[in-house]
Amino acid sequence: MTILSEPVIDARADAAESAVRLDGVSKVFGRGASRTLALRDVSLDVREGELVCILGRSGCGKSTLLNLVAGLEQPTRGSIALGGRAVGMMFQDANLFPWLTVSGNIELALKLSGVPRADRAARIDELLELVRLPGAHDKRPHELSGGMRQRVALARALAQECRVLLMDEPFGALDAITRDAMHDQTERIWAERGLTILFVTHNVREAARLGDRVIVMAPDPGRIASETLVELPRPRRMEDASVARVSGELHDLLREHELEAHRG
Amino acid sequence: MADHRVADHRVADHKVAHGARNALGPASALDSLDRRRSVGDVLAARWPKVWPPLLAIVLALLIWQLVVLSGWKPPYVLPGPAAVFGQLAEDFVDPRFWTAMGTTMVRALLGYAVAALIGTVLGLAVARFSVLRAAIGSLITGLQTMPSIAWFPFAILLFGLTEQAILFVIVLGAAPSIANGVISGVDDVPPSFLKTAHVLGARGLSLLAHIVVPAALPSYLAGLKQGWAFAWRSLMAGELLVIIAERPSLGVQLQFYREFADATGLIAIMIVILVIGVVVDGIFNRIMNDVRRRRGLGTVRL
Repeated sequence: MTILSEPVIDARADAAESAVRLDGVSKVFGRGASRTLALRDVSLDVREGELVCILGRSGCGKSTLLNLVAGLEQPTRGSIALGGRAVGMMFQDANLFPWLTVSGNIELALKLSGVPRADRAARIDELLELVRLPGAHDKRPHELSGGMRQRVALARALAQECRVLLMDEPFGALDAITRDAMHDQTERIWAERGLTILFVTHNVREAARLGDRVIVMAPDPGRIASETLVELPRPRRMEDASVARVSGELHDLLREHELEAHRG
Repeated sequence: MADHRVADHRVADHKVAHGARNALGPASALDSLDRRRSVGDVLAARWPKVWPPLLAIVLALLIWQLVVLSGWKPPYVLPGPAAVFGQLAEDFVDPRFWTAMGTTMVRALLGYAVAALIGTVLGLAVARFSVLRAAIGSLITGLQTMPSIAWFPFAILLFGLTEQAILFVIVLGAAPSIANGVISGVDDVPPSFLKTAHVLGARGLSLLAHIVVPAALPSYLAGLKQGWAFAWRSLMAGELLVIIAERPSLGVQLQFYREFADATGLIAIMIVILVIGVVVDGIFNRIMNDVRRRRGLGTVRL
């Protein structure tokens, strides 16, 4: 049930409103001699409720792309439209604030998004329940395992009622067993909450496991090389034969792009 | 203990992934075990930290006594520990000693408070505004290297033999260290925290209050601690140089004993000055270790 074509024009884009729209986005870092083109003319349309994986090797600008959508950087050219949707973000490191407890970290996010004090305790309980960490309230970040920390980071991102979740290699530092569990959780919460997710990874199998669509990026300068629709039924598992097949096809694509780059 | 906890969380993590409830149970059971320790256990736990300083003090007193016994200097110049501690016991029941101590401590606290205020505001301003940093950033570090005693002639010219002259030098001595603590703390806030804070919507004052200040706290505390050491030194120099009539202080006591060649009284006051310095330093260390421990820093020793 996999349709591979190159490039794919997303046929379903008209059916639902787009949640994230990048139009001819370029990003230049530095000036003069140290001037580098990190992204060149990137256009991307992400449907409401879509889980899009952005795949590529390091240095292809995929994190820059996410930073631009998050508003951490401004595009040099082009435009990014989110239609007023709130954005949450997760990084490879959970980046929990070590001076706060688990509750404190989530509460700070609630506070910063204007949730009144009286409502916060109930929301914290609900969010910790959602990421399957009930009773972890008073733990300090350093007392948690890597997987637990990422779950708290997820709860913190969701605390702000974000509609678009940006995930920058969030499970890259986790062991395979924990990572599989995190994939299941991400998929479940994505479906429950109807989130739109942009998931950056350099792990081909992970992209095939999670994505509705996989955007393959190429470096020098960073750009979109191809798009692949992954029409596999959910829930999926990392070790599914179909996931392995898509993963193989993505690998072939990546290799082709490399060869093209060398010829160019 | 720490290792067991980590292992415990791994187990908990695994359970949660399979949807088990109350997965943190084992860890909280360990916590209640902690609370059931008896007084004897607490003493036994503290002992490894208590005996080295005790031994050091005993050795120092022993060497002191041996030097006295060797007859290197006559006892009226270098008295033994017994005489000095006898004098200390007399001091402690003498109201004049407590008046002197009171004057000194009020000066120390007042000067330190003003220095902390100025140092904090100055540090935040320099950390925030690059023009200010370019203008006085290195001057602050330069001021830190200036011996505070070198300020006194000028301070006395400015203020005369007054409290203000002493305060002036305490502030000049302590504020740069405190400002430097703030500056390096703010500079070293991890960029990843700032990125996360930005995505969470922290800007301006809320960024400062919720992210920058707590992240900079360990470095700020280090600056405050060093600032205290400088304040205390400046104060002692000040009390020897700026002697105000009818106002006894620890420094005046030192000067007084020197003029009457009373070595026993002199050494007794010196011990008081040293002990106050050590005690305050200990308080700072305690606060700093607490802050670090809560953040999971310094728990692993190689």
